[in-house]
Amino acid sequence: MTRSYQSLGFFPRSFVVLLALATVQGCKREDKKAVTADAITIGVVLPLTGREAKPGQYQKEGIDLAVKQINQAGGVMVKAAGKKLPLKEIFYDDGSDQAKSASFVERTMSSDNATAVIGGYSTALGEAESVMPDRYKVPWITPGAAASAIFNRGYQWAFGMLTPTDILGSTTAEFLQSVVEAGKLRKGLNVALALENTDHGIDYGNGIKQWIQKHPGSFNVVFSETFDLGSPDFSGLLQKVKSANADIFLSDAHLQDYITMHRQYIQNGMKHQMISYGARGPETDARKALGDGVDYIFAGIWWSKSLPYPQVKQFVKDYKEATGREPDSWYAATAYDSVRILASAIETAGNLERTAIRDALRTAELKGSLLPGQTVRFGPNGQAQNPFVIVQNKPGGKVDIVFPKDAATGEVIAPIPTRG
Amino acid sequence: MAALDWLNVVVAAVLLAGIYAVMSVGMTIIYGVMKIVNLAHAGFMMLGAYFAYELFERGHLDPLVGAFLAFPVFFGIGRLVYWLFVRWLPVSNQPTLGSLLLMFGIWLVLQNLAYLVWGNEDRSIFTPRTFLTTQIGPITISTLRLVAFAVALVSLVVFELVLRRTWYGRSVRALIQSRYAGQLVGVDTRRTASLTFGLGIGFAGMAGALLASLYSFNPDFGRPFLIRSFVIIVLGGLESASGVALGALVLALAETIGILFVPAGYQLAISFGLLVLVLLVLPGGLAQLFAKRYRSA
Amino acid sequence: MRVVSAIAGGLGRPGWIHVAIPLALLAALAATPWIGAEANLLRLLFITFIWTTTGIAWNILGGFTGQVSFGFAVFYGLGAYTAAILINTGIHPYLAFAGSALVAVLASLMVGVPTFRLRGPYFAIATIGVSETVRVIMSNLSVTGGASGYRIVEATAFRQADHFYTGLLLVSLAFVVSVLISRSKFGLALTAIRDDEPAASDVGINPLTQKLAAHGVAAALAGMAGGVYARYAAFIHPHGVFAFNTSVYILLIPVIGGIGTLWGPVLGGVIFGIVEEQLVASFPQAHLLIYGALLILIILLEPGGILGIVRKGLRHPRLRFNP
Repeated sequence: MTRSYQSLGFFPRSFVVLLALATVQGCKREDKKAVTADAITIGVVLPLTGREAKPGQYQKEGIDLAVKQINQAGGVMVKAAGKKLPLKEIFYDDGSDQAKSASFVERTMSSDNATAVIGGYSTALGEAESVMPDRYKVPWITPGAAASAIFNRGYQWAFGMLTPTDILGSTTAEFLQSVVEAGKLRKGLNVALALENTDHGIDYGNGIKQWIQKHPGSFNVVFSETFDLGSPDFSGLLQKVKSANADIFLSDAHLQDYITMHRQYIQNGMKHQMISYGARGPETDARKALGDGVDYIFAGIWWSKSLPYPQVKQFVKDYKEATGREPDSWYAATAYDSVRILASAIETAGNLERTAIRDALRTAELKGSLLPGQTVRFGPNGQAQNPFVIVQNKPGGKVDIVFPKDAATGEVIAPIPTRG
Repeated sequence: MAALDWLNVVVAAVLLAGIYAVMSVGMTIIYGVMKIVNLAHAGFMMLGAYFAYELFERGHLDPLVGAFLAFPVFFGIGRLVYWLFVRWLPVSNQPTLGSLLLMFGIWLVLQNLAYLVWGNEDRSIFTPRTFLTTQIGPITISTLRLVAFAVALVSLVVFELVLRRTWYGRSVRALIQSRYAGQLVGVDTRRTASLTFGLGIGFAGMAGALLASLYSFNPDFGRPFLIRSFVIIVLGGLESASGVALGALVLALAETIGILFVPAGYQLAISFGLLVLVLLVLPGGLAQLFAKRYRSA
Repeated sequence: MRVVSAIAGGLGRPGWIHVAIPLALLAALAATPWIGAEANLLRLLFITFIWTTTGIAWNILGGFTGQVSFGFAVFYGLGAYTAAILINTGIHPYLAFAGSALVAVLASLMVGVPTFRLRGPYFAIATIGVSETVRVIMSNLSVTGGASGYRIVEATAFRQADHFYTGLLLVSLAFVVSVLISRSKFGLALTAIRDDEPAASDVGINPLTQKLAAHGVAAALAGMAGGVYARYAAFIHPHGVFAFNTSVYILLIPVIGGIGTLWGPVLGGVIFGIVEEQLVASFPQAHLLIYGALLILIILLEPGGILGIVRKGLRHPRLRFNP
């Protein structure tokens, strides 16, 4: 090891200094990827590696598809340029790391001179990124972060495609209530909540609890706890849930924990009248890992490929052509529409001025959207308010939409039949 | 909670201890002999999991057979890694920063290679055995976890036998006690180190292959296990099979039962709190207790 | 004057160049916002300052004193949260950073007293345990936001140059502290402890108090770095600032740059702040691979880090300058 208390000789230190200066110089000479007259630069920051890798990848695929389709049609009409300009996507993988996520958003807003930025899968990454749009005055749309905390800060440049997670909670409660009213479940059932310790889990839990508070007598929450992500064993937690003697088991978890927990749930021979893992349920990887164990689990999600809209069918077809598989759960759809609503805002604005685009986004309305309700509009705080769909896994790999009634593709099965 | 529920929880904890033990044995061996804290352990476990997965998907090979096959394969890989990288490390009685970082670098490389080859999907192995349960008296347990426990037990017994009955085992014990003295009495340190490293990685690969049947995994797999291995190392001491078993048992019991009294979100805090507590009271880990016992004989 | 002569002095070497180079670098950096460098460059330099500070901090404990901590993120995170909470109450940021340093020092005492008697790898493992425990606790503590993270809302508008200069000031402070320690009796004591602790205590050095002192200084610097970062990012989360990965990066910086040296952490910080981002941007799939390979090569070929390679290279007779 080097001697620490003797400083280095002249050359090594000057070498270091020169190295530092050269790096600095190199960075300065970095050309501004300016908004050239021939393309609209869109920065995209999503996780392709790390904990949130899979959904991040699906969202990127949605964005890529939308950009490709728009460019195939010639691009986005920009009145000030007098012609259609193609979209140019500059992508950064933030590795599911918040500091990197925020940093890349800064980079794309400053150095790449992006006209707008799309990014932030998962609330933590979204929150970290959301500090930057107001700072740099660049419009930012998140197709993957739903926490209302992001949009309650009076930010002027942030927009979100996802309805807040607490509404997911209240929609779930509403759905269960509708099942009670249909006579399939008794009134006043006990509910056990096992929530992942993240913004998502906590907001979901709050949504459910608040709804129940407003409708006394509907359900009883007899157990509610949070758990840390990535645990190899949920025996203790499941034992607590068992002891709570609930009728309905509502959890909220990432895919890995959903698989681990539900495997142990089945192995422990546990039973409930209804089971849900929050926004998890119909994923292909889950079915691969749990076989018929996923049957009858229901989930509240922002979009389902079974929605009976023609544009949804078209999207599923195009997505399959582009990637070789059908869209998994909801991730790609919100990302796809985020590009489309951005494109329509740019057209409305008529130029590439960020302020004009931001103002256009505020009043933008994407008709023919893939999302439930077929129209996306940003609320006064920047967040969309589309309704959720509740889907239920059916035997044989089928997934039915069971709520709301007007979008339903099948009947809800409640209470769940006991296994084997 | 009824007595039956308590029994269930304790049994679940014991089975979990089996899983923890099987994954820690590899790290223990390598540390004991070579004083290297193998941070790449998680990476090799991850590769073991993919190994079993590929054999299952392509060769339709029973994942348990895959786990047994993983051992010799990863033994070979371990010896290769030793020959390529580890033997250049300076020899020492203490873990050096260099060894820590070398293994960490290897872990990073393994992770990235896995990303490139398999992508970031969560994979899992699903067989009819996945949900199979065994009835033992009034308790129902997962068959797979029981099997994992059995494998752990067998590995620890085999490990202990090797230590006590073979020339290799004698060399290992000599080196654990004192590297220099071992060299003086003629132990071939190079060869022993190479075999040890191979054994350690062999166990890691086997553990990973076994765990592939229980959990879903991706290239990031192994991190929570790695962290718990550290706790087990401290609890049980790095130098014996019974130490590993004891450490795994204490940790599993503390985690599973602890959750019954504390909000589930604090589970990891229990594990680490335990670690820190033990270290405060026994700076040499629980092994210090054992050392005292032997010395008084 | 003592400070200058301490930096310039040393063991009989000619002194002026040792002051001139760091000052020139400082002047060049300080001028960058003035000459209108773009926001992205300022951001990169700012990140470099933060990482370099944490690297210098770790180096004081790990490089000078030989105590390898794998859980340094705990001080970084505690500093971040302290500053965040204080700034939200309206205190002047610099006072908040002082608060960060104070909390970090207190934490270092609580961690150090029990853990410094541990031998072997147990110290490193214990530091991981402490850091992870704090992370889990902070994730559950709703008063600081828990798993939702914590936001900083400042009354004054954001001015990037402001943050840039704070970062520059911090890293300069860290560097000066590092130099002063290395040239003082305290530094000699630390080196003695690193090289041979029993012998050091034989000649009258109290290992525990010296280690605690080094730990305290290192923690204070790391805590302030966390605070300065938190103010810039305006949002912190336990899984980010207390992450095991953060601890690892903090120790990678001095190791890759040159452990135990003065400029090693600086070099490492530059690599981490600037080069790393380019790597990730250009090779999103392979940057872990490159890092790992780099780490392996450095450990096997030149444990002295990049600086070690440079020094060996410059020992070539024709290039020798030193008399």
